[in-house]
Amino acid sequence: MAEKFDNLEEHLEKFVENIRQLGIIVSDFQPSSQTGLNQKLNFMITGLQDIEKCRQQLHDINVPLEVFEYIDQGRNPQLYTKECLERALAKNEQVKGKIDTLTKFKSLLISELGKVFPEEMAKYKAIHGDDPPS
Amino acid sequence: MTEIFSTLFGQNDAQPPTGPAAMGFAPGKPPPPMPPNQAPVAAQIPAQHGDEGPTLRKPGAMNEPFYLLRELPVGNDLTGNTNLITHYNLEHAYNKFCGKKVKEKLSNFLPELPGMIDCPGAQDGSSLRSLIEKNPVCGNSFSPLTGALLTGFRLHTGPLPEQYRLMHIQPPKKKSKHKHRHHRPQDPLPPETPSDSDPKKKKKKRDDDPDRKKKKKDKKKKKNRHSPDHPGLPGSQTNSNSLR
Repeated sequence: MAEKFDNLEEHLEKFVENIRQLGIIVSDFQPSSQTGLNQKLNFMITGLQDIEKCRQQLHDINVPLEVFEYIDQGRNPQLYTKECLERALAKNEQVKGKIDTLTKFKSLLISELGKVFPEEMAKYKAIHGDDPPS
Repeated sequence: MTEIFSTLFGQNDAQPPTGPAAMGFAPGKPPPPMPPNQAPVAAQIPAQHGDEGPTLRKPGAMNEPFYLLRELPVGNDLTGNTNLITHYNLEHAYNKFCGKKVKEKLSNFLPELPGMIDCPGAQDGSSLRSLIEKNPVCGNSFSPLTGALLTGFRLHTGPLPEQYRLMHIQPPKKKSKHKHRHHRPQDPLPPETPSDSDPKKKKKKRDDDPDRKKKKKDKKKKKNRHSPDHPGLPGSQTNSNSLR
C-alpha cells in the first residue's frame, strides 16, 4: 500500500523540482537557455506521463472533497484528519451515552412494568427471555 | 401487501383491535378465538417474509397478548457503544494528530514546495476546487513536444515582470530557537549539549596552543643555555631553526 504512495510521491517531487528549475530558467531567460528550456519542457511531459501511470495503482483511493477546501485555503490538510477524528470520537461518546441511557431506561421500564403488569411481563419475558442489561 | 400485514398481526377479520390491544400491549382483551381445525396463520408464513424487514413476532407467540412485538436486534452489530477508534486501530493516528498541536499552514505540511502556497488558491485561480469544477479541456495522453512544437516556446530574453516572479519567493521562516537563546542572555542556561560544549573545547585548545608553544620554546631555550655549545640568543634561534 505504502509503495504506491511512495512511487507517486517520488514522481511528484521530481515534477515539482523540474518545474522549479523551469521557473528559474524562465525568470531570467537568455538565448543560450533555449536548449535547456526545451529539455525541461519535455521532462515536464515525461513527468506528467509518469504521474498518469500512477493513477492506475491508485484508482481505489478516495479523497474527501473537504480536504481540497483545506488545501485551497492554504491550511494544513492534517487539520482535516485531526478534526475528523475529534468529531468521530465526540459522536461516538454521544451515541454511547444515548445507548447507555436507553439501556438503563429499558431495564427500569421492565422492572416497573413487572410491578404493574406482572402476568404480562412474565409472558413477555418468556418470549424474549430475560434481557441482559447490556 | 395488506394481506401479509394482516396475517402478521393475526387479524384475518377486518375489525381492527381497539383500546389497549391496538397499542400492541393488551392485557384485557385476548385475541379472537381460532377455529379448532385451523392452525395459527403466522405459522403458515414462509420464512422469507422475514427478510423484507424486521420480524414482528415469533410464531410461538401468536396467541400471546402482545402485538407489534419485534425481535431484539442482534447483539453483534457494531454500534457507537464500542470505541470505534480503538476498533479500527486508529489510536496511533489519534495520538499523532490530536495529541500534539498540528501546524496551521500548508507550507508546514509541504515545506519543500516552492512558492507562496499559504495564500488562498482562489486568488490566483490555482484552487483544486476549480480543477474539479472547470476541468481543463485536453486530450487523454501526453505526447512529447517535437522540434516544430518547441518553436512555440521561444522566449524573450531578460527578467520576468515582477508579478510573475512570486513562484521563487519562499515565505519567511521563523527564527530558530538557537538564535533566540543568544538574544536572551538572562534565561537560565540549558544543560550542556555536546554541540554546545564542543566549540568551547576547541576554543580552549586553540587558546592553549600558543601558550604551549611558548613553554616549549622556553624549555628549548633553557636547554640550549645549559648546553655546552650554547652560543647565545641568536645562535639558539639558528639552532632551533636548524633542528626544524
